[in-house]
Amino acid sequence: MPVISLKNVTHTYGEGTPLSVSAIENINLDIESGELVGIIGHTGSGKSTLIQHLNGLLKPTSGTVEVDGENIWADKKKIRSVRFKVGLCFQYPEYQLFEETVYKDIAFGPKNMGLNEKQIDESVRRAAKYVGLKPELLTKSPFDLSGGEKRRAAIAGVMAMNPKILILDEPTAGLDPKGRQEILNMIKSYKEQTGSTVLLVSHSMEDIAGIASKILVMNKSRVAMYDTVENVFSRASELEKMGLNVPQITRIFIGLKEKGINLDTDVYTVAEGGKRLLSLLKGGMA
Amino acid sequence: MVRDITIGQYFPGKSLLHRMDPRVKIVLTLIFIFVIFFCKNFFALGLMAAFLIGGICISGVPFKMLLKSLKAIMVIVVITGLLNLFYAAGGNVLLDLGFAKITDKGVYTAIFMTVRIACLIIGSSLMTYTTTPTMLTDAIERLLSPLKVFNIQVNTLAMMMTLALRFIPTLIEEIDKIMNAQKARGADLENGNLIQRAKALVPILVPLFVSSFRRAYELAFAMECRCYTGSNKRTRMKQMKLSWLDLLFVIGIAVLVTGVILFNHFFTHLI
Repeated sequence: MPVISLKNVTHTYGEGTPLSVSAIENINLDIESGELVGIIGHTGSGKSTLIQHLNGLLKPTSGTVEVDGENIWADKKKIRSVRFKVGLCFQYPEYQLFEETVYKDIAFGPKNMGLNEKQIDESVRRAAKYVGLKPELLTKSPFDLSGGEKRRAAIAGVMAMNPKILILDEPTAGLDPKGRQEILNMIKSYKEQTGSTVLLVSHSMEDIAGIASKILVMNKSRVAMYDTVENVFSRASELEKMGLNVPQITRIFIGLKEKGINLDTDVYTVAEGGKRLLSLLKGGMA
Repeated sequence: MVRDITIGQYFPGKSLLHRMDPRVKIVLTLIFIFVIFFCKNFFALGLMAAFLIGGICISGVPFKMLLKSLKAIMVIVVITGLLNLFYAAGGNVLLDLGFAKITDKGVYTAIFMTVRIACLIIGSSLMTYTTTPTMLTDAIERLLSPLKVFNIQVNTLAMMMTLALRFIPTLIEEIDKIMNAQKARGADLENGNLIQRAKALVPILVPLFVSSFRRAYELAFAMECRCYTGSNKRTRMKQMKLSWLDLLFVIGIAVLVTGVILFNHFFTHLI
């Protein structure tokens, strides 16, 4: 059974006014448990609107959103419990930090869940470990942390609720390459340790190609593709028409193949590409 | 809630009112408001209302949008109306409720007061709807410039106003984002008693203050990088010039004031 299931979901902003805009239109989507889904699409393609439907921050104008087989809007009063099950971490989450200490800030979510002291403590320490925050940082003010640490503390604030599904909107935005890689590794290991479903919105094909098991492509308010990484990137020309790109290394391989060199184009990371080229060269020399 | 604030909102257009010199517009609006309080009877007030309606027609601003500006102060209008309805002294009793009497004079005063407030609000909204915030602050700066004699930094004040207006939509967006982020962590903003609700605002206000200060620093740096010093010697890209249009409106208001004075004088026996 899919953990998230959307049926004919449409959301229109400012409905009934002349300024009404459909941000997402007729979305049908099933996400299976344990996937790591990369969500890509142009600015304004409806990514942000889509993910805000998954934890009930936005209510669909029409259609249903099901989490664990239950319509999340069946009972309006239970919408908060959906938010604990589906953790959503917004873009630049460090701007939501507010408590006196990092510990208290991470504890905000678990506290809202109504956990007891001991459970809260466990959740906070576990989340801090996932994101690689040193225990001594927990007693500091979140405003004294460095940019990267703040980002990680904020992500920990969502992870601490122990959500079954974790959604991250551009978690690597504005970070340097090292910071990006750290965050991506952290997400990957979090997923492996907890077995939860993770949705990752990103602009960077490279980021997503490296860790995702499936890719969801949004284009003009609709789902354009939802498939495995290989299948999505094999449709490179279609992606280009949407103004999206396959990873640079994949483009190199596609280009080489067009030049008549016999190799497979399912390469998404530079490391893997290097290996393939080396073995090809060695083979050629032999 | 926040979106009901219409002050500083602008309705784009090219009407006569839009093209008027903002300085003249501000002064005339002030005179208009001033004269509203001098109306002693319905004839005088009716003249003002008619003039206002004429202004609305010229401006091309939809009447609905102007009514929206009334929505924010509806409570005040209603309370004023009711108070006057019940507590106006004298006149013939129309209805005796036991605890209060409604007299014909009460009804008249209530309507009079309500119309007066409506004219007041709609009149000033009409000005802000037809003037961009930048033009407005520019005009205020010019009008206040005589204060420079007293060593008051008028241009700094005007810049502060411009910036404040500029950041209203930005802050609204920011509040929206922060609220969503905290809701996603299970913050409960809708339920609970007054104290609980006030406490629930902390996770929203703290990040809002922090980011406001951050924005302020960034903006200050950016302005300094472009050599802004707040000196009096800054020149303007758009020079304001008076035209025949402004003269037309000045004459219009002059006629209106004369009309009100005459009506006040001749119809003293009517309320």
